[in-house]
Amino acid sequence: MALEDFRADALRCTRCTYCRWIPFDHVKSARFARGCPSIEYGKFHAYTAGGRYVTALSLMDGRSQVTDKVRDSVFQCNMCGLCDVSCKICRYDMEPLSAMRELRFTLVQQGHEVPQAKPVIEGLRKQHNMLRKPAAERGQWAADLRVKNLATEPAKYAFHAGCRYSFDGDLGHVARTSIRILQKAGLDVGILGARESCCGGRAFNMGYRDEMEARASQNLRAWRTAGIETVVTPCSDCYHAFKRIYPPETGVELKVVHMVELIAELVKNGRLRFSRSVPMRVTYHDPCKLGRQGEAYVPWNGKEKKIFGQAVAYDPPRPRYSGAFGVYELPRDVLRAIPGIELVEMERIREYAWCCGAGGGVYESYPEFAQMTANDRLEEAEATGADALVSACPWCERNFTDATAGNGSKLQVLDIVTLAGRALELEEEN
Amino acid sequence: METRREALVRIVGSENLVDDPAVLASHAKDESLVSPLRPWFVVRPGNTDEVRKLVLWANETGTPLVAMSSGPPHFHGDTVPSAPEAVIVDLGRMKAIKRIDRRNRIAVIEPGVTYSELDVALTDFGLCIPRPLSPRPNKSVVASLLERQPTLVPRLHHSFPEPLRTCGVVWGTGEIAFTGEAGGGPLSLEDQWSRGMAQLDPKGPLMTDLMRLLTGAQGSMGIVVWASVRLQLLPTVHRYSFVPAREIGDLLEFLCKLERTRLGDEVVLLNAAQLARLVAKEAGEAARMAVGLPRWCVVVGLGGAAFFPEDRVAVAEKDLEALALACGLRLLPGLSGIGSAELARTFRGCCEGEHWKLREKGGATEILFLTTLDKVPGFIDTVNAVARTHGYPTGAIGVYVQPQHTGTAQHVELTLPFDPAQRAEVDAVRAIHDQASRALVAQGAYFSRPYGTWADLVYSRDATARSVLRTVKGIVDPKNILNPGKLCF
Amino acid sequence: MEIPREAYQAIEDIVGKDNLTDDPALLDSYAFQWLAELVRPNRSHYMPRPWAVVMPITTEEVQAVTKVCNKYKIGIKPISTGWYHWAAPLKDDVPTLQFDMRRMNRIIEIDEKNRYAVVEAGVIVAQLQAEVMRRGLNVNIIGAGCSTSIVASACAYFGSGPSTYYMGHNSDNLLGQEWVAPSGEIVRAGSLSSDCGWFCGEGPGPSVRGVLRGHMGSRGGLGVFTKCAIKLAPWEGPPLLEPQGPPPAYRLPIHENFRVYTIGTPNWDAWADTYYEIYDNGIGYIFHRQFNLAGADLAAALWLTYLDPKGTMNDVEKATQDPAVQAITERARISFQLILQGRSRADIELQDKILDAILQKTGAFKVERFCEQDFAEFTNMYLQRLGHKHCNFIWVGGYMGSWMQGGTPDFAKQYAPIAIAGFYRDQKSHKLVECGGDALMGAGSTLTGGGYFGLEQFVSYDPADNDSIDACVKHMEDAIADCKQHNLPLGKEHHYLSIGWTDEEIWEGLAKMPQQFVLRFQSKIKEAFDPNSLGDRNYPTIPEGWAPSHR
Repeated sequence: MALEDFRADALRCTRCTYCRWIPFDHVKSARFARGCPSIEYGKFHAYTAGGRYVTALSLMDGRSQVTDKVRDSVFQCNMCGLCDVSCKICRYDMEPLSAMRELRFTLVQQGHEVPQAKPVIEGLRKQHNMLRKPAAERGQWAADLRVKNLATEPAKYAFHAGCRYSFDGDLGHVARTSIRILQKAGLDVGILGARESCCGGRAFNMGYRDEMEARASQNLRAWRTAGIETVVTPCSDCYHAFKRIYPPETGVELKVVHMVELIAELVKNGRLRFSRSVPMRVTYHDPCKLGRQGEAYVPWNGKEKKIFGQAVAYDPPRPRYSGAFGVYELPRDVLRAIPGIELVEMERIREYAWCCGAGGGVYESYPEFAQMTANDRLEEAEATGADALVSACPWCERNFTDATAGNGSKLQVLDIVTLAGRALELEEEN
Repeated sequence: METRREALVRIVGSENLVDDPAVLASHAKDESLVSPLRPWFVVRPGNTDEVRKLVLWANETGTPLVAMSSGPPHFHGDTVPSAPEAVIVDLGRMKAIKRIDRRNRIAVIEPGVTYSELDVALTDFGLCIPRPLSPRPNKSVVASLLERQPTLVPRLHHSFPEPLRTCGVVWGTGEIAFTGEAGGGPLSLEDQWSRGMAQLDPKGPLMTDLMRLLTGAQGSMGIVVWASVRLQLLPTVHRYSFVPAREIGDLLEFLCKLERTRLGDEVVLLNAAQLARLVAKEAGEAARMAVGLPRWCVVVGLGGAAFFPEDRVAVAEKDLEALALACGLRLLPGLSGIGSAELARTFRGCCEGEHWKLREKGGATEILFLTTLDKVPGFIDTVNAVARTHGYPTGAIGVYVQPQHTGTAQHVELTLPFDPAQRAEVDAVRAIHDQASRALVAQGAYFSRPYGTWADLVYSRDATARSVLRTVKGIVDPKNILNPGKLCF
Repeated sequence: MEIPREAYQAIEDIVGKDNLTDDPALLDSYAFQWLAELVRPNRSHYMPRPWAVVMPITTEEVQAVTKVCNKYKIGIKPISTGWYHWAAPLKDDVPTLQFDMRRMNRIIEIDEKNRYAVVEAGVIVAQLQAEVMRRGLNVNIIGAGCSTSIVASACAYFGSGPSTYYMGHNSDNLLGQEWVAPSGEIVRAGSLSSDCGWFCGEGPGPSVRGVLRGHMGSRGGLGVFTKCAIKLAPWEGPPLLEPQGPPPAYRLPIHENFRVYTIGTPNWDAWADTYYEIYDNGIGYIFHRQFNLAGADLAAALWLTYLDPKGTMNDVEKATQDPAVQAITERARISFQLILQGRSRADIELQDKILDAILQKTGAFKVERFCEQDFAEFTNMYLQRLGHKHCNFIWVGGYMGSWMQGGTPDFAKQYAPIAIAGFYRDQKSHKLVECGGDALMGAGSTLTGGGYFGLEQFVSYDPADNDSIDACVKHMEDAIADCKQHNLPLGKEHHYLSIGWTDEEIWEGLAKMPQQFVLRFQSKIKEAFDPNSLGDRNYPTIPEGWAPSHR
């Protein structure tokens, strides 16, 4: 696609400002009505999906040029997709998230990269990870585990740890606990270890399509060689990349499952039983990439057609990624199944959850913005009276953990896998 | 050169000009405590054209005009001239009920139409108009609404001017222009009606709310020559209930909930003195009656019209009783011989005989202001405290609280009767009026209708309103011929 | 006219550099406005670009910046949530500072007992409604929905919506208010100016507010409204709305104190009669002709598809061919939505009984499918929160509302067939969405308490297709011609088109008003409060000495 392909979208934006807010039906308070971290930080309308449609038009039509301010208005966005959900409450013909992504691709191609992102992408190119760590150290998180090495042994499941779990010493225990859980359930699982590559999803959302394609190519080759049927990952970013980015960009659809989905299934069919109580009041943060962006991929290659004279439809019918069918219930099922857990909900959940603040390259490039977003979420979590904020994505957990250190919050930040591990008496605490 | 008299005769006709000294003297003062000032003439125009000619003439000659449309007694000093050589423009002859539209529940009336006249006309259509508390039979409907006199049914009081909708006005410049949606159409009601316009939308025209500039203006912006008013269905079933209490504070929660839920038609809070005055038929009776009444009482009227009127009243009564009980209060069908029949007379008719405020002692002054419900008791205490310092019996002060604007605001009205023939009483009441008003203003009571001496109190503290209103006055009445000396003009 | 850089720096000193921008791309997100394409040269979607955009956070900042504007003769144009082309600067050759009010976003006070709230200009209705519902209260939502600014609708725009019938028009709900005039003077109106709090919008004496708004407000054309108090209404429902189900058609279970109906009528006469009966009987909490915005020919197909989270527009097309949907289409052709609220069980049951009696009398009926639980719960959610108003644009992103002349139901019903016939005619170009001639939506009342109705024709066009835009403009011109032919006042299309007219064309139109008094009044007000003429013609005046060209 090209930016010009979104011209009609942009012209059809009505500047309704719904993209700033969660779907209005779900507003429960003035404080937590806001949905878009970007405009909360950047303030001007250009910092919304609607505003970026105009930026795209303005640039395409030569009415303006890319300045530092314009670049920041494009990239100071978590690409969380809340705007996409809110827009699609009423619109069947708009794809704001895709348009914003295309705008990023265009700016990157034209050389308008975010300076702070460059070393990260350079690291990705050279070391195949987003944390600027040596590729050779990638598998070390599993050093003490007995788990199949997919380079030498086939397995049914490929466990993809992802960059954050692979290299973040604070969080690596989640990956290890994941393996233990899968092994306890008797699943045939292996890892690529040092040969695992970044999924490329974060780079893609930062505007680096080529880098994603390179990473995708490497991962797909490795899995093909290993005869993998299913990829399982505890990282929502990776999950989204495999499920929603790889198929349209590479033509390859693969079976991917998130750890929470798998745990839920294993508990349901009795292969896992929670034996220990974990008395805790928790609230669950829906990761964007597992929740509203975690819907099943539906292949489509069609075009717009007009019906009723001028109404927009598609030939064939175009899938509508409205956030309706993201992965919301399964993580909650897991939490509810753990004895002792009391689940309390924040106001903004499910398809209208507030972003953690780490996505879209913001964690890498705009740490102050990332923290502002996380702090907002922590305040919302604290308002529930929960002891812990639980999620299913290491980037969420990293950003929340950094924020609690900064603001003195007493909230624990945990992954569902950790709680499941405790309940299964398998946990390894950091 | 034409004399004033000659000019006025030319405009209204000799039969409609009065300069009899006794009549002029009667217009020089009213029941309020404002300083008297004798007008020079009273004229009684019969149509818009005559009003317009009067205004044009007044501009040419610099003659103050004071418009009035109700008969006496007047209580606020707004129709007493504040400038010499004034001409009273008595609109009492303009009595046409130009239209009653049952389907759209709107009537168009001239300023001389009184509540008693309108009541009769509307009854045939099964309609009525929200009314103030026991108006005198010669009280002009238009005048009452223009002065934002509170009406009794809070749930229908959607805005302060309600049920006033649009007006035809001769402005201080002599121009004729209509307000509201009527201001956007032809300058003829008949033409508007032929186009299906109903003069129902009060806003405008354009970005100016001309009607709101007329309300509370004491005739200082323009002379209203017709007005459209919204009507309600005349209840076919109507009952009243009483909720008594020893202390006003005991009623606040009940009132708050009652007003919130928009239950009931008439909702009025009265103290014993005021309730007794309203229903007593003779002088002396009120004081005796008050002794047997609860110190405070909310009166709630429940009316039913259209489909299932009896059911409506029955359901409302049940809900009202439940509400009263929940607040620890009782709901009674009557109080010391006062029942639905007496209240129907009071609330749905006009006061009979001598005005109910004057019946007791011959004179009465009022202090009236707006506030919120929670602050009402404190303000009443302020007035009582001042009254006590002057030896005025606080038990004689009548208190009437009228929820306004669906209960967001409360009109508070304190009546202090006095014997106008007793100098000491007059002086005491004047002093109480003055001191209490100052104290109330200082405490945040909102004198939204700044009659007489209140004007200076209000506008000396409110520079913004003063400035804006003087700007407006400078546009619509640049020569300040309409009731000069009132408000901040 | 070139504005010295010192002006920008002076404003930056007041608000801070992060709260001011003159970056062209960022400015374009304010110039780009819905409806611009109908009036701008070459169908441009951009209104004039502001000279800069500023985001003040206090009234004092607004005043200080306004004073700078006066010094350097920079136009002033506030915007809160916008959503009309007239929210942008109106003139290409007049440097205009757009005041984006979203940082003034505090709910200052909710007085639960006296039932009003005080808000700043950046607070939207959804936020306030959520807060007041917890307290058993509610707030009128204008037809444009809950994404809109309360201050804007009450002080500076119009103010009616589906809940106006019971909860009040925002001009009636408006209490104290605060305005920064273009001169830089701060004007507070009502009890606020007398330092008595926010609770009353009138007086003292004549109401100052009469200068600040009338039938409509100044739409940003005369200074900046910063705060207001708004009267609240009772809410007998749950303290929190708990929508159920997946998007888009969230459903709100119907609380026992409520009833939610779609009422159909056999013809427009019966529609008017039913209206009058509802009005006389005093029932109704939310009263609106909502779903026909999609066009009566397509409404049933659209909304029934909308209920399905997997539904697509292709499914809507299929649904129109389904005989069962066709039957519902006819049943709901002349219909409207009515929500009843009772304060007690006996009360709501009585209201139900009264409604049944009305329907029996007038020949109206409950549209069965729309009264089934799923659709009724969707209707309940839709109308209680009014958070789906972007559905006005559901077909293809362009919508223009023509007609909408306000009047009594008898008045509105006479122009309905004319509007319908005209729309059918104009759809034959195939350049508009062919939703049928009746795409008339309207508030149960544009006046508090009822009695007044306006029917707005929803004309859907493709803003990405100049031919479609042209067809919409043609429809607007045709609608104006239809009105003139039938001796009807002009509708909304006239207001929209006038944004593209020259000053002289505007003045020529204004000069035709039968009563000129208010125009002269407004000219004088503008002289007093906008001596440097920094506001724009959204506050209409005619210059002194100007005469129409035909004289």
